[in-house]
Amino acid sequence: MTRDLEALRAEVRSWCEEHVPADWRERQTGVSEDEYVEFQQSWFQELRQVGWAVPHWPAEWGGGMSVPEQAVLYQELARADAPRLVLAFVGIHHAASTLLHAGTEEQRRRHLPAILDGEIWCQGFSEPDAGSDLAALSTSAVRTGDGYLVNGQKVWASGALHADWCLLLARTDPSAPKRKGISYFLMDMRTPGIDIRPVQQATGHSHFCEMFLDDVLVPAENLIGAEGEGWQVAQATLGAERGMTMLELAERLGFAALPWLVDLCRQPDWRGHRPIDDPAVRERLAGLEIEVAGLRSMCRRFVEESERGAEGPADASIVKLHYSELLQRLTGFGAEVAGVAGHQVLDKPISSGWESGAWVLDFISSWEWTIPGGASEIQRTIIGERGLGLPREPLPAKGTA
Amino acid sequence: MSEFADLHDDLRGVARELLGKDADAGTRWRQAADAGWLGLEVPELLDGSGVTFAETAVVLEELGRATAAVPFLGSAVLGVAAAQAVEPGAGRDGLLRALATGEARVAVALAPHADAASPVAPFRLDAGGRLSGRADLVVDADTADHLLVLAEASEGLVLVHLPSLPADRPDPVDPGVPNEVRVVVEPVLDASRGFASVAADDLAVPGDDVWRFTGDPLATAGAVLDRAAVAVAVDAYGIAAAMLDATVAYVGVRRQFDRAIGSFQAVKHQCADGLVHLRLGRELLQEATAAVAAGDADAGKAASRAKSYLGDTAVEVVGTAMQLHGGIGYTWESGIHRFLKRALLDRSLFGSPDAHRRRLADLLWP
Repeated sequence: MTRDLEALRAEVRSWCEEHVPADWRERQTGVSEDEYVEFQQSWFQELRQVGWAVPHWPAEWGGGMSVPEQAVLYQELARADAPRLVLAFVGIHHAASTLLHAGTEEQRRRHLPAILDGEIWCQGFSEPDAGSDLAALSTSAVRTGDGYLVNGQKVWASGALHADWCLLLARTDPSAPKRKGISYFLMDMRTPGIDIRPVQQATGHSHFCEMFLDDVLVPAENLIGAEGEGWQVAQATLGAERGMTMLELAERLGFAALPWLVDLCRQPDWRGHRPIDDPAVRERLAGLEIEVAGLRSMCRRFVEESERGAEGPADASIVKLHYSELLQRLTGFGAEVAGVAGHQVLDKPISSGWESGAWVLDFISSWEWTIPGGASEIQRTIIGERGLGLPREPLPAKGTA
Repeated sequence: MSEFADLHDDLRGVARELLGKDADAGTRWRQAADAGWLGLEVPELLDGSGVTFAETAVVLEELGRATAAVPFLGSAVLGVAAAQAVEPGAGRDGLLRALATGEARVAVALAPHADAASPVAPFRLDAGGRLSGRADLVVDADTADHLLVLAEASEGLVLVHLPSLPADRPDPVDPGVPNEVRVVVEPVLDASRGFASVAADDLAVPGDDVWRFTGDPLATAGAVLDRAAVAVAVDAYGIAAAMLDATVAYVGVRRQFDRAIGSFQAVKHQCADGLVHLRLGRELLQEATAAVAAGDADAGKAASRAKSYLGDTAVEVVGTAMQLHGGIGYTWESGIHRFLKRALLDRSLFGSPDAHRRRLADLLWP
């Protein structure tokens, strides 16, 4: 049953007034990894206690909010500038959707409650030679007596340094066509043979990691789906990343990033002029507001349709492409308006996500959305082929590529 | 899902079929009347269907898709709204009835560059009931036989009804005839839309033809302009959707370098962008259409969002269509020029994208 939305809004709003620490941004900027993890974990548990950590999960596992309710929740969290669940992100979205979509009852019972208790997940998909062409991955998983022996290298595993578990793609059949020989595993990050090295990113943070896997033993019961069907399972997981997470992110754009941008435009410059009084600035702001309004409504529709299994074959890509490029345009405009002074903001808290008001850094980190999860170029190809039915790019003849 | 989803499907299906076949202007008008499109928003008591702008929008989208030359905007979009905003009376009710059956063709004298933020009355009605003023580029005034003119009177804004213009008047009307409204056809590049200037100089108007608004006249005039803007945005969406379909079909069969050109990313990605923009535009239109249909006080924001976004998007998508059809696309015979001209005209009609973004900014951040 749908609760009265305005009652929910009032409830979330007053809860946020009491619970969102007013100074969390200052206190979380430039903190150690341990402090960041502790802050994320405690915020996650606060949200969990009121039932708002995983609103998108099925009711039996601790969620059960309708899409309009989720939208209201996310709007109010954004309005209150609540920290985002950055550390839990892969667990509550990708891992949960994988388990719900393809996991066994036992796997779900093992992990879904654990995720609620703070189990951290990362994704081991991309490799140095398998980025956009993910199906070219070469990390191998060789069957042994009681499981699989995994060897290879993964990259761009965000949060891997703190992860308890990893969603891992590895090749179990090197002789099969490339999409057919891949299997999907849940890998315990405490298994011997895993070496994690943080990679410093363009923003200066080191959230992404390289992961070296040397004879890592993964028990057979941690296979998700059938052996050789990992590609299909991964498609579902990537679909979640592209689609379901957008509801929150679109509301963040509407209820945090855009109002902050308007506030920024209201600050007088050194001559005492306010950018918002400049007709050119007003027009560009209005143009961004229009796109955010359209995106928010598109995301609500998409999530509702995918819950009914009624979404179009390229809809997740349409949403992801538009969100990521709009985020880039919006933060890019923020960097323009902030001017030289914007470059004096040298750091931002990881817990803020992609819009923090540190406009230059926000703009730089917007490439975290246009590149991963299928780069914009890949999304356009998917939209052209699956959304419009255009012919596929012919594969080069063997030996010519 | 709208409770009228079935009605929308029916309307769309009939329109797609009718408009898919060639017909002259007279036949088209008859078809529009017979299909019930003209009276969609006319109350049932007055021989209409009594539905809302949401249904009118379904027809508008199909007219855009077909670049159909039907003077629907003047009668079924603006005429109906203006007539329903004034006090009931024999004259008004008769006009709505005639409008629903297609006997009357209506144009509403609003300047096409008027904007809902400051609707201007281009005419004055003096205390002696004499009308003077001029409006240029009045949509569908070239074929209308009834004009509704927004006029400033001593009591405030009123709607003046000027009936019985000769439907087959010479073109242009002799401007020398006294005591008659002067309607001069104003040709435009887009052959699917008609315009005329409307002028009156000390024209005597019978009291029965001066109609008073039931609500605040300025707000009403603003609401009519918002409706006009959304109607044109829907038309633009239809044009762009038709052109994206045509382009996808063409690049799927046209072969160069031994492959369909649609398999090249440079081509495919432009089509993908078109789809993304149309999806976003559709969301904005649904909100704007619903707001206009419900008469929301806040409809102006949704209208300006939709009009500005679709104005730009339609021109971009049709431009891409011309580009991806190659040399063929640039020929007269391909017909893409018709879509481009109408999309360009739609972009300017009832407020440019820039003007609507400025207005939205003023509404949001006064």
